[in-house]
Parts: sequence; structure tokens; C-alpha cells
Amino acid sequence: MKLENVAATLESCRFCLMCRHVDPVSHVTFNEALTPHGIALTATSQKRGLFEWNEESVHVIYSDVDGGNARAHCVTGKPFSEAVATIKAELAAKGFAPQSVYDVHDKLLKFHSPYGEDRLETGKQKSDIALFVSDEAHYLWPSSIDASLKLLKALGHKPVFVGRGRSNGFLASSLGFPELAEEQARGVLEEIQNANAKQVVTLSVGDTFALTQLYPERLGVSLPTNLQVKDLLSLLANALAKKKVSFKLSKDKSLYAYIDPTHAVRVPVRFDAPRTLLKTVLSGEAEELFWRRERAHPVGTTAVQFTNPELAEKLTRARLEDAVQTGVNKLYCEDPATLYHLSKYTKEYGLEVKGLYEFLASQLVKG
Amino acid sequence: MSIGIQLGMIHSELEEIVGRDYVSVKEADKLVYSVDWFWLPQMWLDRGQKLQTPDFIVHPSTVEEISEILKIANNYKIPVIPWGGGSGSQGGAVPVYGGIILDVKRLNKIIDIDEKSLTVTAQAGINGTQLEWAVNEKNLTLPHYPASANCATLGGYLAPRGSGTISTKYGKAEDLVLGMEIVLPTGKIIRTPKIPQHAAGPDFYHLFLGSEGTLGVITEATMQLDYLPEVRLFRAVLFDDLSKGLEAGRRLMVQRLEPTVIRLYDKKSTLSQVKKVLGYEFDGAYMVIGFDGDKDIAALQEKKAMAICKSLDAKDLGREPGESWWQHRYDFYYPPKGLHFPWMYGTTETVATFSNIEKIYYAQKEAVETTYKDWNVDYIGHFSHWFHWGTMIYSRFIIKEPPQDATEALQLHNRVWNTAMTAVLENGGMVNEHHGVGLKLSRFMRRQYGEAWGMLENIKDALDPNGIMNPGKVGFGGVK
Repeated sequence: MKLENVAATLESCRFCLMCRHVDPVSHVTFNEALTPHGIALTATSQKRGLFEWNEESVHVIYSDVDGGNARAHCVTGKPFSEAVATIKAELAAKGFAPQSVYDVHDKLLKFHSPYGEDRLETGKQKSDIALFVSDEAHYLWPSSIDASLKLLKALGHKPVFVGRGRSNGFLASSLGFPELAEEQARGVLEEIQNANAKQVVTLSVGDTFALTQLYPERLGVSLPTNLQVKDLLSLLANALAKKKVSFKLSKDKSLYAYIDPTHAVRVPVRFDAPRTLLKTVLSGEAEELFWRRERAHPVGTTAVQFTNPELAEKLTRARLEDAVQTGVNKLYCEDPATLYHLSKYTKEYGLEVKGLYEFLASQLVKG
Repeated sequence: MSIGIQLGMIHSELEEIVGRDYVSVKEADKLVYSVDWFWLPQMWLDRGQKLQTPDFIVHPSTVEEISEILKIANNYKIPVIPWGGGSGSQGGAVPVYGGIILDVKRLNKIIDIDEKSLTVTAQAGINGTQLEWAVNEKNLTLPHYPASANCATLGGYLAPRGSGTISTKYGKAEDLVLGMEIVLPTGKIIRTPKIPQHAAGPDFYHLFLGSEGTLGVITEATMQLDYLPEVRLFRAVLFDDLSKGLEAGRRLMVQRLEPTVIRLYDKKSTLSQVKKVLGYEFDGAYMVIGFDGDKDIAALQEKKAMAICKSLDAKDLGREPGESWWQHRYDFYYPPKGLHFPWMYGTTETVATFSNIEKIYYAQKEAVETTYKDWNVDYIGHFSHWFHWGTMIYSRFIIKEPPQDATEALQLHNRVWNTAMTAVLENGGMVNEHHGVGLKLSRFMRRQYGEAWGMLENIKDALDPNGIMNPGKVGFGGVK
């Protein structure tokens, strides 16, 4: 993002309070300083010489969860997420970022992921269709991979894996390493191109966001013109509507809710797909959580899990408390990272969280 | 005892009450809590000047914790500034004397929704839009839709006597409240009955509406709800003359047609604000009229309203320019569509009877435009919250090239306000209709009320003997 655009965005946001109602961080911290307004005011005041960057003010900037909700709800479309990512890049380059940021950077550089050290080799198989198995699916919720393969097979696809065990670039970007993020984005796209894939299927909204918005808009990396990005739930919902796939109805009559995952607000076109699929396979009544669809909050999956683990935990717990308030005891979600973070605490709340891909795969009607 | 030791003592006592995580003395937090939506402190920061910051930011989670905090503040005679969403435009939340910012947003629970009486009881720190979403799930609405709803809190609706965009039909926030829980400055917790209309003595709860945290902390309120309307109809008309528009609005009100919205823009506003936000180029005074509720009744009300407008030579612009206004009604306040730096601006709004309102508009316009001609001042206005006896002018001044020096800018800003408010007071208006008094209008209160002001000062002294509550606001003095 150009520096003058960063400045203009932050100047606009510093005294604008209009996205507070959907701001996830202030909802769990109650701290004005950690709202988009507070973050922008901090950054612009530093530029005016009102203070120097120090541990406290840097903490404000790194408590940002990438501003997805602020961006999605900004009436005048201010690129707040991109502006803050640029400020973080400035801090990281000057050595002002927290140590955890540089630790993650080193792991991303060495292993393509902060979650494990597999550094998997690029596959050599070719197919028209590729399944993007990012590091979150590979390390945090691996059962989603087999389940998604079964589901794709039911749709008549035999995909090749791409990006297996690799970060999609979002984390690097959100921590303030745009060059590394770009390198990771190009790495993912290179794998897709090497596989000759014309269609890449994603397992999470975060991956869809990365490929379709983060790469072209923030990182300046264009997708090949003939490449289509499809998320698996939308593919399944379409196939269901066309009667190309069918599922058994579960006997489970529990009250349940779908929990919109981190980044959900960034790809609103897919709000209905998981709900439609769940209604097809579950005989229990569906409830809607308060923080749903356009207002859905992230759990602690973003960069704050490294820069501010306490905040990450609060964000995750807040989603579970929402479920408790709603009165459900069973939650479904497809996103590997969201599932991983939620499942750390579900038992404390008497809740059960289930992987949607795994559940759908178990309900497939063969033939 | 040194100031450092005293602050250290207060810090440790506050932590005892709310826990370490909920008391902040971080400079980064203090900066953000030193400014609300008032142009002056924003300008001060914009020019790279340091503001007075609070000593502590405290986030209590219960009314009992608030009570204990106020007792500590009395003990040490340290100011307490209640803080909701920080969206007030009058400097009501600015900690001019330092002290404790009492951020009430952790008090954000809905206690009860009574679907028979159509009331909601909620804690005062709940966010306005979130409260609205919650009652919407039961097909209900709290019919108070201020532009600040996304950030303001329920307590912030009430403390400055706010108005929302549909106040013309449903009333101001103060008309929607049935009862409140309040922590008095001494720490005593009181509740007013949840029945607002009765004859059991004076309505003392009204004292706290408009007190802006100077007489206590509102911690809970019971509010009147309505069913979500079956329809909302909007239509726009254009008058070639502002007077005719004002007369149309008056007739709509005195004939009790119950419009949800009447918003009449003067010609200059129509050419600037309406064009900028909605994209229409109308030469005249643009008026939006809305009705809601039962579809047959709303249609009939609209028909009668259009007949009144037609009788005053209005041009019917149809539904689209009315509906577009409703869709974009808050965009007027978002950057960059709203007023913004480096401009100097202020909303010199007022309310008066129909007999005086037009006189005030022209008196204020002429005074501001003449006196500050050298600054190329723009004066624009619209009439947006209507009553059966009068209406309000949402007037604004804009100086696009103000002095760069912060002190000079402050002085010019205050001079413009003095001019605008003198025109109001000399012609029978009130210094404010719905933004409140805060720091900005404090100096006009004695003039506004004359001898009656002394009575309010006596009440303040009785309730807050040490003057700890939000000092320097609403015309009251500092800490004693």
C-alpha cells in the first residue's frame, strides 16, 4: 500500500468511531485504545511527535486482529487492515516489534509455518483441480484433509494437494513482513501452476480471503487469469442443490449452531452454504449465534495468538460464551484453525465442537 | 504526601476493587482517553499538542465496583469522568482536570426484555447497535437511532439527552426511559421507579438526564420499545423557499400526522451536504418526510402530508431521494463525507418554538457569516428533530482554512461559538437540543438559565459536595 494512502486512511480512522459495534478486540478488552480509532490515533499521534514508539504503544498496534470487521463495515471502504499492516511493517523493519513477531518470522522463513517443522516437498502430480491444504489444516486440524478428499471424491474430483503445510501468507502480512508474505503467496501460486490446476479448492475462509483478496489487493500478487478459486462448502452446497451429492440425515436431534470462522466477514457470499448443508444432515433445530454472519468475530487464530496470547484466548472464549448464551451445546465449523482454537476450551463450557467436513463426510450417501 | 505517593495509593486501591487487568496507567491508553468527538481536543492533537490526560482508566464490571470507586475518589478528592463510547461532540468526556476515567463498557448486559410491556432493561455500558440487534431478534426496536449508535452506549444516549433520527415520532432518548439505576457521587446506589408517569411526587430522575455524569453515574436503564414497523415510507420534496418548508413541517406536526422523520435542508446544505453524500443536485430546500408503522395508516399519513406540501408549492421528488437519504443517513458523519480536518467546524444547533425558529436561523446565519467573513466561513443548516411546538436547527459553521497555531485556532473557534450562541439566546432559543453541554457550552449555562441556575448549582453541591463528578462540565465548576 502506498504510504500516502496509509496516512490518509489512518487520518480518517483516528477520529472515526463508526465500526466500534463490530470491533472484536474492544468487545473483549473494553479498551478504547485497541479499537480501530485508538490504533489509528496512536499511529498518527506518533507521526506528530506526541510520543516515541515504545513497548506500550507497539502493543496497541500488535493487538490488532487485522481489522477485517472494520474493513467490512466501513461505509466509505477505508483500507484499515492494509494501513495497519503497513504500520506494522514499519515497526518490524525498525526492530520495534515484539520478539514473538521475529520468532514467527524465522519459522515462516525456515519451515513456511509457525505450527510445525515438516517443510513438505512440493508434489509432482498434475490435475485440473487442486486442494489447498495450508499449514492450519495440516498441523492444527489434520482430520479435515481426509474428510475433504472424500467429499471431493463424491463430487467426482480427484485433486492434488498444493501448499501443504504452508502458510498462505496472511500471517506474515499481518505481522508486518510484506516481502515474506509476497514470497509465500508466490510459493503457493507456483505450486498451483506446477500442478496445472485450473481450479483450486480451499478449506477455510482464510485461504479464500488470502487467494482472492490479500494477494491481489495487499500484496500485489495477481492470480493466473484462468485460475478459479472455490471453497469446498460452496461446491458442496451447489452440488446438493443440483442433486449431485446426497447426505444421510443424522439421528442427532440436539440444538446446534454453526459458528462463522475467523475471516468470515471478509467473504460474505459463503454465509449460507454451511447452514444449508447442516440443515440437510441434521434433524435438530438450528440456532444462530449473536455474533454471526456479517458481525462474526474472529477467534484467536490471527497474529494475536503470537503477539498477544491472552487476547487470543479472550477472543476464543467470547465465541464460546456466545454459544452458551444462545443455549446450544453443539457447534459446527469447517475452518481448521478456528476448530483448533475453540476446541482448547469447549469442555470448560460444556460444549462440543465438531469439524463440519468430517461430519459431512460421515453422512455421505455413496453412489 | 507527594503527588506520586498519593497516585500510587489510589492506584492500588482501584486495583483492589476491579483487579489489575482493569486499571490502566499506560500512556498509550491515556492518549486515547484524553479526547472525545469534540473538535477542540481533536484539533489540539491534530496540531501535535499534548492534552491533559487522565491519571487512571478504570473498567468496572458491577455497580458495586462503581460505588466503591466513587468512595475512593471522594476520599482523595480526585475527579471521576464517566465514559461510555467517547462519541460525545461537546467535550463531555474529556478529562480536563485529569483523574479517573470510569469506562462503563463492561456493564453491557441485557437484564430483561418484557415482550408484553415492550420494555428492555439493560446495563448502561451496552453498545447502542448491539442493543438494537438484540431487541430486533424479538421483532422489537428501541426507536432511538442516533448517528453515533455504532459507538455510543445506552448511558451515553441518556446522559446528554440525545435525539435519534426518528425522534420526531418516538421522542428523544429521555422520552423513552422509564427508570434508571444511578450511582450518586457519594457512592450510594439508587433506583428510580420504572413507571415514569405518576403523581407520586416530583420526577427526580429527570435530574440525571442531561447531567452528563456531573450528578452521578447512570448504570442501568429501562427503555420503551416498539414493534419493528410493518413499513417505513420515505419521500422527498423540494421547496423553493425555506420558509415554506418550515411551514410545511409545522403543519405536519400541529395536525398530529406523526411523521417519523422530517428533515429540511437549507439551500446551502442541499447544494453541499446532500450533493456530496447522496449525489443529488437540487436547487432549493430539500425535505425528507417519513412515516412508519401499519402500512395503511402510514400510506394515509403520507398522502395527507403530501397534500400539505403541495399546498405550499413543493415539488414532489418521489420516493427514491427519500429512501436514499434513509439508507445513507449516517454517511454524513463518516470520513471523508463528514466534516474533517484541517477544517474548523462546529454544530451550533438549537431548539425553539415555531414562532422563533426562523428568526433564530437568520439571526445566527447573519451573525456568523458577517462577523467571520474574512475567514470565508460557511454556514449551513437543516431542521431535523420536530416537536408539536417547535423544531431544532442543526446549524454548522465551517472554516476551511483556520489558523495553524493551536491557541489561535481555539480562540477563533470560541469566538464563533460566542457569536452563534448569542444569536440563539437573544432570540429565545436553547443553547442545545441533543448534543449536550459538555465543556463546549459550559460557559453559556448561567446565561441560559438566569436565576434558575443557582438552584441547579445548589443541587450539584448537595449531591456532589466534593465536586468530583466530571468537573468543568455542564456549567459546574472544578473539584473542591
